[in-house]
Amino acid sequence: MPLEPVESQSREEIRMLQMERLQVALNRAFLNVDFYRRRMDSLDLLPEDVRTLDDLRRMPFTTRMDLAEHYPYGLFAAPLRSIVRLKITNPMLRERGNPVVVGFTRHDVTMWQSLMTRLYAQLGVTDRDIVQVAFNFSLFPGAFTFNHAAEAIGATLAPSATISARLQLQIMQDFRSTVLATTGAFALHIVETMAAEAVDRRRLYLRLVLLGPDPLPEITRAYLEHGFGVPVYGLYGVNEMVEPGMAGECPYKSGMHLAEDQFLAEIVHPDTGQPVASGHEGELVLTTLTAEGYPLIRYRTGDVTVLRDSPCGCSRTLARLGPILRRTDNRLSVRGIPFYPEEIENLLREVDPALDDFRLVVTTSHGIGDQLEVLLLRESTRDYPGGGRPQYLEMVRSSLRRALGLGVRVSMVDRDRVPREGLIYKTVFRSAEPFRPA
Amino acid sequence: MLQVNGLSARYGPIQVLRRITFHVGSGEIVALVGANGAGKSTLLRTLSGLHRPSEGEILFEGDPIHRAQPDRIVRLGLVQVPEARQLFPNMTVRENIELGGYVHGRKHVEELLPKVFDLFPPLAARPRQKAGSLSGGEQQMLSIARALMARPRLLVLDEPSMGLAPLVVEEIYRTIEILHQQGTTILLVEQNAMGALAVAERAYVLESGRIVLSGDASELMEHDDVQRAYLGKEYRYKWER
Repeated sequence: MPLEPVESQSREEIRMLQMERLQVALNRAFLNVDFYRRRMDSLDLLPEDVRTLDDLRRMPFTTRMDLAEHYPYGLFAAPLRSIVRLKITNPMLRERGNPVVVGFTRHDVTMWQSLMTRLYAQLGVTDRDIVQVAFNFSLFPGAFTFNHAAEAIGATLAPSATISARLQLQIMQDFRSTVLATTGAFALHIVETMAAEAVDRRRLYLRLVLLGPDPLPEITRAYLEHGFGVPVYGLYGVNEMVEPGMAGECPYKSGMHLAEDQFLAEIVHPDTGQPVASGHEGELVLTTLTAEGYPLIRYRTGDVTVLRDSPCGCSRTLARLGPILRRTDNRLSVRGIPFYPEEIENLLREVDPALDDFRLVVTTSHGIGDQLEVLLLRESTRDYPGGGRPQYLEMVRSSLRRALGLGVRVSMVDRDRVPREGLIYKTVFRSAEPFRPA
Repeated sequence: MLQVNGLSARYGPIQVLRRITFHVGSGEIVALVGANGAGKSTLLRTLSGLHRPSEGEILFEGDPIHRAQPDRIVRLGLVQVPEARQLFPNMTVRENIELGGYVHGRKHVEELLPKVFDLFPPLAARPRQKAGSLSGGEQQMLSIARALMARPRLLVLDEPSMGLAPLVVEEIYRTIEILHQQGTTILLVEQNAMGALAVAERAYVLESGRIVLSGDASELMEHDDVQRAYLGKEYRYKWER
């Protein structure tokens, strides 16, 4: 499939396109979003003062807190009349009591879909493919973009949502699905089901597996490629912008090509905010270049990665994001559902003000968060919310399920059995696989 | 073909263009639309060397032209069809057209004249008629014909639909499309946004000296801001009846 012109432009041409579009993005933000107008005014900065990337760095970062503070429509650059889609980013991730609401104009939705179409094309998905899309659409609204883009290229769409792994495999065989798009956690579950049910991978017609929205660790890729017997690719998106579609791997698997015609990327030191040397790891900061509904300028994604603009074997010139190495904050993800330990803590203390301590135990399977267990330490055995201890545990369990959309094991633990927390607040990780020394 | 980077222009203390950046690719037809006072005419004067930019650069086929004299800019192939035609009313159609070609010499005029007349049959039928006695649409054609004699690589049209009846405007735009199909790169500067967006591939919207929108022309035509500004459609909140 031929490349889109922008995919093979010289780096200089890409930079010029970005600067041209940045001018429009800044003008619109300045004219239409009070938050950015005030920021620029306070810096005595006009949009036209930004002529280079260095000039852009005079603008402060936009943080997730900024987004939450302007709930619901405070950062919209287009009137509601022009907004055709609203997205509430995971309501569990509440900052200062508010979720984040993102608005998309018709142009934005079209752009988003076209980027996902580009990612499909980059992997050679065509109208001859049958694309099985297995996501929980209510927890990951971006999953609809897999559907729309598959239809746009003329592929046959089989949205299998969250039906059981056994049925997914049956559909895969009966429909002759050639592409599977799902989360890493669910792909692992499918592979394990294949083993348990003795499904021979030669009875599948898969050509490739596409995983999102969580980062794809190499250990997971290796395991899944062995299980499915086909290449497994990762993609990248930012919930507050475009997810999926922003970046994705090509068959060379040497990083995820970023849609630089739509997003301007910087890599900064997470602590100082200063740019890091080219090719070094740092926090990814993004500026939307054409978003009309919800422009974000220098948005801190919290993802630590590397950006490379060296030539890729596929001949695309768009820069590549390296693997997402870690988060700059405490965000966790289990089965593709993101959450913060601090938010879990708030919820637990709302249910039980007498709670003494707690731990989150995240069990990983092949590098991906697969299960969450909450250990509660409550030294008082009196006045359990809900009545007795079983009712209390059930109350916590159902509160977590409602908030996260995820089944969580909840149990109580004595003080001397509370595991020591690791690098992430109140959290310990356990691997589902036995440790095997190399 | 044309790359404008951070171009500013001012008249004394009044800043008219605010570091605008845009480009026109070879073979494209690009519209630049804006209301009165947006800075369109100043931009065109600056492109043509009639007004010095206060900063920024204009690259034409990679060559900087922001300090070049107007005649050199025309020789390089950036040719403008001015607003309000600016013909010589007492000269004939043929004389007006010939004037456009003298920048390249007499021989060139003789070679090109028949080809230009081929494009505009109404003009070919009346080469000896005084330009001032032509209809508005014919005068606009004549103005374009004169510009074509300068062998433009980039033809810049300033408000070609101004003051013309709708049917005549359609004809002018048809002519522009034909020129484009024949390989001429065109920058169309218009207040008549809908007409310009209908023929252009890409477009920029200029507002108070800044580019505030850009994208595919067909997409911009549907854009609420454009519809509000140029068709008078009012915003309404979704919850209003």
